Amino acid sequence: MSRVLARPEVVILADAALQGARLAGRTVHPWAWWGWALGAGVAVTLASNPLLLVLLIAAVTFVVLQRRTKAPWARSLTLYYALAGLVIAVRLVFQILIGGLREGTVLFSLPEIALPSWAAGIRLGGPVTVEGLVYTAVDAGRLAGLLICIGAANALANPKRALRNVPAAFHQIATALVIAISVAPQLVESVLRVRRARRLRGGVRPGVKGLISVIVPVLEDAIDRSLALAAGMESRGFGRTRTGRGLDWRLGLTLVVAMLGVTFGTFALLGLPGAGSWAVPLLLIGLAAGAFGLHRAGDDLATSRYRPDPWGAPEYLVVGCGLATAALAIWLASTDPAMAFGAFPLTWPELSWPMLATAAVAALPGLLAPEPPKDAA
Amino acid sequence: MTATALTRNRPQTALAGFTSAMPISRWSKMMLAIAAVMGILAFAWPLFLRPGATLTASTLSPIVLAALLPMVLGVVVVQMTQHELDVKGLALLGVLTAMGAVIRPLGAGTAGFETVFFLVIIAGRVFGPGFGFVLGNTTLFASALVVGAVGPWLPHQMLATGFTGLVAGLLPRLGGRAEIVLLACYGAVAGFVFGILMDFSFWPFAVGTGGQGFDPVVGPLENLRRFLVMELVTGMGWNAGRAITNVVLITVLGPPVLRVLRRAARRARFG
Amino acid sequence: MIDFDDVSFSYDSAEAAAASPVLREVNLHIDEGDLTLVVGRTGTGKSTLLGAINGLVPHFTGGLLSGEVRVAGRSTRTNRPRDLADVVGFVAQNPMQSFVTDRVEDELAYGMEQLGLSPTAMRKRVEETLDLMGIAGLRRRPLADLSGGQQQRVAIAAVLAAQPRVVVLDEPTSALDPTAAQDVLGAVTTLVHEVGLTVVLAEHRLERVMQVADQVAWLPGDGSVVLGPTAEVLARCDVVPPLAALADRLGWRQVPGSVRDARRRVQREHITVADAPQRRERPASEPVATMTGLGVRYGDVVAVDRVDLVLHPGTVVGLMGRNGAGKSSLMWAMQGAVPSSGDLLVAGSDPRSLPANQVGRLVTLVPQSAGDLLYLPTVAAECAQADEESGVPAGTTAATLVRLGVAVPPDRHPRDLSEGQRLALVLAIQLATEPRVLLLDEPTRGLDYAMKAQLGAIVRRLADEGTCVVISTHDVEFAAAATERTIIMADAEIVADGATRTVLTSSPAFSPQMAKVFHPRPLLSPAEVVRLPVAGRGELA
Repeated sequence: MSRVLARPEVVILADAALQGARLAGRTVHPWAWWGWALGAGVAVTLASNPLLLVLLIAAVTFVVLQRRTKAPWARSLTLYYALAGLVIAVRLVFQILIGGLREGTVLFSLPEIALPSWAAGIRLGGPVTVEGLVYTAVDAGRLAGLLICIGAANALANPKRALRNVPAAFHQIATALVIAISVAPQLVESVLRVRRARRLRGGVRPGVKGLISVIVPVLEDAIDRSLALAAGMESRGFGRTRTGRGLDWRLGLTLVVAMLGVTFGTFALLGLPGAGSWAVPLLLIGLAAGAFGLHRAGDDLATSRYRPDPWGAPEYLVVGCGLATAALAIWLASTDPAMAFGAFPLTWPELSWPMLATAAVAALPGLLAPEPPKDAA
Repeated sequence: MTATALTRNRPQTALAGFTSAMPISRWSKMMLAIAAVMGILAFAWPLFLRPGATLTASTLSPIVLAALLPMVLGVVVVQMTQHELDVKGLALLGVLTAMGAVIRPLGAGTAGFETVFFLVIIAGRVFGPGFGFVLGNTTLFASALVVGAVGPWLPHQMLATGFTGLVAGLLPRLGGRAEIVLLACYGAVAGFVFGILMDFSFWPFAVGTGGQGFDPVVGPLENLRRFLVMELVTGMGWNAGRAITNVVLITVLGPPVLRVLRRAARRARFG
Repeated sequence: MIDFDDVSFSYDSAEAAAASPVLREVNLHIDEGDLTLVVGRTGTGKSTLLGAINGLVPHFTGGLLSGEVRVAGRSTRTNRPRDLADVVGFVAQNPMQSFVTDRVEDELAYGMEQLGLSPTAMRKRVEETLDLMGIAGLRRRPLADLSGGQQQRVAIAAVLAAQPRVVVLDEPTSALDPTAAQDVLGAVTTLVHEVGLTVVLAEHRLERVMQVADQVAWLPGDGSVVLGPTAEVLARCDVVPPLAALADRLGWRQVPGSVRDARRRVQREHITVADAPQRRERPASEPVATMTGLGVRYGDVVAVDRVDLVLHPGTVVGLMGRNGAGKSSLMWAMQGAVPSSGDLLVAGSDPRSLPANQVGRLVTLVPQSAGDLLYLPTVAAECAQADEESGVPAGTTAATLVRLGVAVPPDRHPRDLSEGQRLALVLAIQLATEPRVLLLDEPTRGLDYAMKAQLGAIVRRLADEGTCVVISTHDVEFAAAATERTIIMADAEIVADGATRTVLTSSPAFSPQMAKVFHPRPLLSPAEVVRLPVAGRGELA
């Protein structure tokens, strides 16, 4: 009687998915996750206190574990953890071998080798100190933390939906990228098929000819596909709303000036001491002009968007948490004495309540953002 | 019977096979030039950094550069794709990008065995510098997106690969074996330059400042010397690996792949 | 609705256009609401004619078009294909190649996004189109996961969403099994009859669609187009579906539009036909291949489930069944290219235990996408390479190619060959080793009737020389005409195995049209229809 009720949830889920039913849940806008992750990233780069650093990384990881889907890119956080570990390890190895921080409690000493003068007089080895290692680890940890924040965005934001939601000016390039992402799995399939077919003609031979005999058919396939695709896009109206005129000269000028502003501003920030007072505004003006120019460049196009990803309360919440984290970190960096952690002399870092609050704000989306549907990609 | 003038009669040149899937307008040239300058800043910033400048070496510079570079790249790529790429070029760009994204993981990480350069160089050669530039950018971006590897290094890689494709399209037009030799040499040089530039831009970051590493106080020449020594010791294996990969792939796969792509260009009847 | 005024087209320069244009001074007019079938042998310009309707020819393909094509009053001279997207929907042959997105719903919306429709209008139209094509259940599925028939229906739905008034389909069923094809053609008929669209459809296998067509446009190959009522045009065109061949044999002026029409006329005119010819019994020979408990698994999926099969030399065996029934897997397993369990013995040895380059002497396979095997720039180079690979004297493959009787220019690029030429080339390459068993996976795809007849003759000759030929196909008419034994697979198992006449005529789904017309006489092909002079017992037995 109650056989239906007794069916495991998975089966019901599969049935529902087959019939196109919509499952409960809501995916958060991909750019909202990016906004949140970049906010957390800013906080992490400012976190010179290792305790805050660890808390922030834990908060970001918590959100990913709570809200990621089953999509392939959702697994990428592990990769970023590995990368972050590598960054810290490389820095520590360099510090041990050729680092300049040699004061403090000596752990062990390496024999010192002074390279000849043509090698810039680099000294290898020397005493390896606790303070040196701790300082290096914390310093590298901030970069590692930034990587983990970016990894979190990669894991949470659906890249295809991100590409669908770009400003109009990026429409063409986003289309090319959407094509690339859709076609890539089919190309993999094509490679496997051709490799298998090679056995029919005397097998996959090692070396050059074997490689060519696989690559050429796959590439020919890909080219055929691109022409068929182009014909399909053309007959379905791609680019129809475009006026076909080239770049308007005023717009062109705006964009060129914007690029010049950004480039020169960057140079000033790097190479002209004390230029910050005018270089930063110059940079900002350049960025604004560029954004304006790109916005206008998209006016040419009048395509519309089917079921655009909604931007509502959850998105404001997610981005808001990111911005708040960044703002709190900036405020802490300039006011909280506990933020200033120095390894020389080595002390146990202090933890203040505002620091805890910062990490908690970063972790909020893990609880408050809506859960994605079970079949979400 | 009026003939519709829709046909595109291409001039019959002796050097067939050098089509351009994407002409470059004056605006694009100007923007590419600025992007090149920005690229030099982004890659060689340790040379420009003066003590007391607003940006500091420790963490801020590469991050700021990685944030500004996308804007510059975005403007160039938008300009080039929006006005100079037709639907066939776009579809071809998409499919070749997918191709690059598929072959990239084949070699990722193993001693500089980097397979995308080959495709970008050959495609830039066949479809012209503009296409090569955009393909370099999209390939790196798409492959990062697919495997979820978007990070602060990405804009630098995109810019460098883009210019790799662009220059491949600008190389002198030779035919037959001379072309393969030329491309192979270029591939070797590009492999080294790419590696050295990437390493240089992240050098102060990887090694830490002060001591034997980067120090803005000692001046650009001394810093360059320190870097080169370091690079010789640590990075040359990877660079050589990348260069050898390029040379081998271009010599071995270059002729058939050039042939396939040139046939595609003929079939697509690019202007 | 569609008007061609004095249209000539050539892909090359003006001089070549004068010599051999693809289309020459074509004048035709297609009324609103008609289903027009475009027929013609391969290479006669069917695709060009279809492409000219929405302006892909010449805007996209290049080439020189003179005259004028107008659709709903809009000229393709001033309108690019994209400008006609809301008037003409164009469905290409292979839907998977022209999908832009990777999800059903997004693909449906793509065209409308390009037209800049308002989100509310799009939302409504997507729902309508999903229902119209019966694919609402698939809305969230990735396109790559769909079956061929589903993909084709999504492709049609995707152009319908923009609400065109004309739909052009270029061989939409060539890659589908009969059920899926029926599905797609049913959907097309709905468009004509329920929605009132004008449909132009190119199709090789006329027996599927001729009964629903209002008229036929035949391309004889000289650049002209003959447009007229189905029965009249088919009676004189060089594309001969079984019913047209029947009409020819019985001396009918009009080709019956369907099996039902033919059967009624046969009964009305009290036509009697001779019994099916008895197949001469071959002397029992030693089997060339035996399989015992052969199984293929891909992960958790069972593709072939413990199949027992014995093949004899000198026979042509048809392998039928719907897509995914395990036909291909069985063939690949027989060749040894796919790992399998169970016993397999071909000419005394197990192909799985031999190195790949020695299997060719026992058994060889022509895969479904024959082009996968080709990678050199010319036909001649491919032949030379095959000689070297098979260890046969130089020139053997080229000679085999000549012997197959299909003209294939040696300096041509293999990718520029027609389906038939490419099949012949791959066949020649695979025959260079003189295998005992030849496996052909879906060879009839994209072949016209004449080429299918040629293929039938080739495999017959090979069988007469002692080869065992196994052909997997969806084409009932081809299987009926070309094979003597038929195996039907379903759900990874063999469900029927026996003489073609018995197996095919005993099931309505696999019955060839002649068997249906002359039921219960088990006739397989029009060639077997022999009219008896006297109207014997008055009606069919």
